[in-house]
Amino acid sequence: MNNIFKFSGYIFLTLAFAWLAFVVGAKNQYGDLTPSSESLEENGSNIKGEVLYPQSMAGIAQLGAKEYLSLGCVTCHTQQVRSEESGFDVQRGWGKRPSVPRDYILQEDVLIGHNRVGPDLANVGLRDYTNEWLHKHLFMPQMEVEGSICQPSPFLYKVSDEPSEKTIEAISVDNKMIYIEPSIQASRIVAYLQSLEQNYELPEVSFIESDIEADELVETADTQTIDNEPSSLPSWLSEQINSGKEIYMKAAPGGGLCFTCHQPNGQGIAGQFPPLADSDWVLGDKERLIKISIYGLMGEIEVNGVKYNNVMVPPGIPPGSLTDNQIADVLTYIRNDWGNSASSVSAEEVATVRESIKGRAPMQMWTAAELNKKSDSE
Amino acid sequence: MKKTTEQQIDQSARIAVSFFVASAGLWLLAAAFLAYVAAAKLTDPLFLSSFEFFTYGKVKISQANAFVYGWGGNSIFAVSLWIISRLSQSPVRGTPFLLAAGTIWNLAITFGLLGILDGHMLGHELLEMPKDVWPALLISYLVISFLILVVFRSRKKKSTIAPQWFIVAALIWFPCLMMFAWNGLEINPGRGTLTSILSMWFGQNIIWLWLTPVALGCAYYIIPSVLNRPIDKYYLAIFGFWCIAALAPWSVVHHLEGGPVPMWVPAVGTVMSIAMVFPIAVASTNFHSTAFQDISKVWNYLPLRFVVFGTLSYTISSYIGVIFSIPAVAKLTQFSIINEFHFNQRVYGFFSMIIFGVVYHILPQITGREIGSAAKNFHFWTSAFGVFGLLLAYLIGGLTHGVLAQQPSLGWVTVIDSVKPYFLITEFAFVILGFSQLVFVLNVWKVLVPNPFSTIDSTVESKAV
Repeated sequence: MNNIFKFSGYIFLTLAFAWLAFVVGAKNQYGDLTPSSESLEENGSNIKGEVLYPQSMAGIAQLGAKEYLSLGCVTCHTQQVRSEESGFDVQRGWGKRPSVPRDYILQEDVLIGHNRVGPDLANVGLRDYTNEWLHKHLFMPQMEVEGSICQPSPFLYKVSDEPSEKTIEAISVDNKMIYIEPSIQASRIVAYLQSLEQNYELPEVSFIESDIEADELVETADTQTIDNEPSSLPSWLSEQINSGKEIYMKAAPGGGLCFTCHQPNGQGIAGQFPPLADSDWVLGDKERLIKISIYGLMGEIEVNGVKYNNVMVPPGIPPGSLTDNQIADVLTYIRNDWGNSASSVSAEEVATVRESIKGRAPMQMWTAAELNKKSDSE
Repeated sequence: MKKTTEQQIDQSARIAVSFFVASAGLWLLAAAFLAYVAAAKLTDPLFLSSFEFFTYGKVKISQANAFVYGWGGNSIFAVSLWIISRLSQSPVRGTPFLLAAGTIWNLAITFGLLGILDGHMLGHELLEMPKDVWPALLISYLVISFLILVVFRSRKKKSTIAPQWFIVAALIWFPCLMMFAWNGLEINPGRGTLTSILSMWFGQNIIWLWLTPVALGCAYYIIPSVLNRPIDKYYLAIFGFWCIAALAPWSVVHHLEGGPVPMWVPAVGTVMSIAMVFPIAVASTNFHSTAFQDISKVWNYLPLRFVVFGTLSYTISSYIGVIFSIPAVAKLTQFSIINEFHFNQRVYGFFSMIIFGVVYHILPQITGREIGSAAKNFHFWTSAFGVFGLLLAYLIGGLTHGVLAQQPSLGWVTVIDSVKPYFLITEFAFVILGFSQLVFVLNVWKVLVPNPFSTIDSTVESKAV
């Protein structure tokens, strides 16, 4: 400790041991990985004639990686799907399988990142985004995804009000269309994003079957595209529907949190949560619906001939906190989206039902049998 | 007799220490400005969005580099120079070389940051500055640390004590880390995620083996020397020191949990992170059982109040860090803004607070001028409040972020929506911290460069002579 040279030696060694393991050791273990066919012959060699993965990126995509790096995108986006024990990345639809070291061996800049303020991009090329959508998203993310905090990069585009072969229709301001022309950097970045996919199996990893259809999830999770379509409904009804949709999708106090089980697309989850789209319960008797919305539901229920057995706590945050108005709006919404079309529900109707079941103990959930019996007898 | 030697030593250290403190202050302001811009861009994505050199990623990364190398590096040079020369009872030598190397160090960081903003960033954690400035950084660092070690070598007393171990070790660790990283990232880079492991290892070790030990060394020096009583249970300190030396380089890779690297890498990291409770316990026992014997003195002497705030913050948040490295918890928080909590807790709550205290302790001794106590107090309370708000927002926001991100059915926009309020709080916290750091820099500069108008007689004329 008192001899500076000896001391420096020990200090150096503490670091060198860890370096030996993490750098030299890891390099010996997997530094010589090569592309491989999706499965192997019995003797461990690649199957002849099959495509070897991973494949190297196109040149323009490799240049795109440099642009991606230089703009600092890696600060907010990871490019790694974690293994099943470490998180729900596959269930979230961020990949068909966990990422493995072999996926990255041909990339010059490995940008796996370690922050997810934005979504993971390891498989962004699989998500059916068009180039046009990606360009518009790069230009002004808030145009495509409402509430996004992704940074706009307007400096990558030339803006004009005349369409041409190279331009993309971006946004209308004061009834005038604005067109954007991607620069070479923007095109490289989009090519790079489109090339990001781990859409193959490797001997060490295979696709994971998820309960939820991965494609469907990706669509709902990442692109809540703003709906600009003009509506032909009367304004009071579309207002009620819009407010209902907000309650349906809201995961904060005052919201309904409905979408977590019934999904943003109203399809539910097969075997667990019944669908709302085209459901005989949703399109049927209003009173049953209102009762469920006030007290929740538990036990076996048959929807469109399929049996479900689960618990639905009274909707709302905190549970059971939705007001008559909110219940009316959200019920009107679910009766009029995803192809559903049925009469609206008013706050007065909700109030009447609430009055009629006043004596019921709070949080005492209905059973389907109980609800059906009542509506039959009346 | 003893006092005069101390004065001679302070006199020899005056110019170099002043230079490093002054430049550290300027970097602190630059980092505070960048931190604010980055935070503001998260709350309002359109803020400054039309400038290519101000994308969120670039600003965020240059902030981290300005903070760690600019503020961290310069203040490390200043405090280690002074503490080592005081403890060695040996004057500082080679001031011109120190100043020249310091200038090169600062220029290298300036060009490095401009390089990042201009789009020449590299993808290595805390080594994002373009390769061209690495040699300048390394060489100027070697010159400065060599001159500090020369002072250490010429010490009067052969035996060494805790502050010397920590500071000397940190001085040696940095160039070793840099060379390992240079070799593995640029000279013969490994393929694929091998570079990711090394980059993670380097970036986290810069915090754990460079900033942390210097701050711990400062605390080991300041607390007993101001309170004038020995460190309680001092015999544990050597165990704590070697525990950090042996465990920290292994523990830092636990952030790769579940990623595309061999499973043993994060597993080793996790085990070693949990083992870090021993050195954390040792340091906090040493500091706090000493400081709390005379808590009124700690409270009344402002530099010490800063230092003890730093050591408390070190203890609390290091334990939180240990908890977050347990796989079941890491699964939730791994990619969330908890990472910001860890970084800011280390560099603001712990390292910077201790450095503030030490600088306030040093400056009156080397310049002979006192810093106004109201200004110092204002700095303390704004810092404490800002750090507290910032860390709390990142902690709670990080947990919210992590837990919601684990719900596969929640849309990503919904997840981020629920984190937005915390981004707003951090923006406010960065404004407060920016003010507080401005006050710090004004305090420091006022002492280093006295106002020419109020003291015309003493300074201007003496300069003219």
